[in-house]
Amino acid sequence: MSELKTTLAGYVTYRGREGHWSFLLHRITGLGVVLFLTIHIIDIAFVYFNPVLFMKAIEIYRSTLFGVGEIFLVFCVFYHGVNGLRIAYLDLFKPQGWHIESQRRSVRWTLVIALVLWLPSAFWMLRNLLIHNYGLFGG
Amino acid sequence: MASVSQTVRRVRVRPNYETIAWKWMRYSAFAMIPLVWGHMILQDVIVGVHRIDLDYVAMRWASLFWRVYDTLLLGFAFAHGVNGLRQVLNDFIHGERARKVMNWLLFLFWLIITLIGGTALIAGVNRAFPLS
Ligand code: HEM
Ligand code: HEM
Ligand code: HEM
Repeated sequence: MSELKTTLAGYVTYRGREGHWSFLLHRITGLGVVLFLTIHIIDIAFVYFNPVLFMKAIEIYRSTLFGVGEIFLVFCVFYHGVNGLRIAYLDLFKPQGWHIESQRRSVRWTLVIALVLWLPSAFWMLRNLLIHNYGLFGG
Repeated sequence: MASVSQTVRRVRVRPNYETIAWKWMRYSAFAMIPLVWGHMILQDVIVGVHRIDLDYVAMRWASLFWRVYDTLLLGFAFAHGVNGLRQVLNDFIHGERARKVMNWLLFLFWLIITLIGGTALIAGVNRAFPLS
C-alpha cells in the first residue's frame, strides 16, 4: 500500500512540466479508453447474446450524460493517438530526438493538433445531441 | 546537439516477452490510427448513436469487409489496451509473485472479452431471440 501512495504522490507532486503533463494525460486517456472499450465490446456482443439488452444499452448511450461522455471519449482517443504516434515515432526511428527542449515543443504541438482534430467532431456531436435530446435546430 | 548524439548507442537485447510487448505497443500504434479513428469518426460522429440499432449492425456485418475491419479493431485495440493496463499496473505492483498473478489475471481478462467479442462477430445479429 505504501507503494501505491508513493507512486500516486509522485504523479501529483513531480514537476516535470510538459513531459510530466504529457505522461499523465497519455496514461489517463489510455485507461479511460480501455474502460470504455471493455464495456463497448460487451454491449456490441449483446446483438448476438441478448438483443433486448443491446437496445437497452443503446438507450443509455443516447442519454445526455453519455452523449457528453462520448464527446470526451473522442478527445481521449484523438489526444492519445497523436501523442502515441509521437512516442512511437521517436522511440523507433529517432531516439536521439528525446531531449527536453524539443520535447517541450512537441508536447505543446501534440495538444494543439489533438484539439484541432477534436473541435469539429465535438461541435458536430454536441449538435446531434441538442437535436435529438432537446429538439433544437428543427430536430 | 553533438553531446546528445554521442550518448545514444545501439545495444543488442535478446528478444524476450517485455521487449516484444514494448515493440507491440509502438508498431500497433501505426495500425490503430486508421482503424480506431476511422471507426470512431464514422460511428460516433457521422452516424451517431441515435441511428444505431440492431438493423444497423446487421446491415454493417452483412459486408465481409466490415467484419474483417471489426476483427482487426478488436484484435489490435483491445490487446494494446490491456497491455497498456499491464504497463500501468507494473508501476504499482512490484513483487515477483504478485506480478505473476497480475499477468495471468490480465491474460484471462483479455481472452474472455476477446472471445465474447469474437463470438458476436462470427455469429452476427441474433434474429431468433424473442424481442418482446
Ligand atoms: C512518478 C514519478 C516520476 C514521473 C512521473 C517522472 C516523469 C518524468 C518525465 C515525464 C520526465 C521528462 C521531463 C521533461 O521532459 O521535462 C522526467 C525527467 C527526469 N526525471 Fe523523472 N519522473 C518521476 C520521478 C523521478 C524521480 C524520483 C527522479 C530522481 C530522483 C527523477 C529524475 C528525473 C531526471 C533527472 C529527469 C531528466 C529531465 C530533467 O532534467 O528535467 N524522476 N521524469
Ligand atoms: C489511436 C491510436 C493509438 C496510438 C497511436 C497509441 C499509442 C500508444 C503508445 C505508443 C503507447 C506506449 C506509451 C509508453 O509506453 O510510453 C500507448 C500506451 C497505452 N495505450 Fe495506446 N494508442 C492508441 C490507442 C489506444 C486505445 C484504443 C487504447 C485502449 C483500448 C489505448 C490504451 C493504452 C494504454 C492503457 C496505455 C498505457 C499507458 C501508460 O503506460 O501510461 N491506446 N499507446
Ligand atoms: C462512442 C463511440 C462509438 C460508437 C457509437 C461505436 C459503435 C459501434 C458499433 C455500432 C459496432 C457494431 C459493428 C459495426 O457497426 O461495425 C461497433 C463495434 C466495435 N467497436 Fe465501436 N463504436 C464507438 C467507439 C469505439 C472505439 C473508440 C473503439 C476502440 C477503441 C471501438 C471498438 C470497437 C470494436 C472492437 C468493435 C467490435 C466489437 C465486437 O467484436 O463485438 N469502438 N462499434
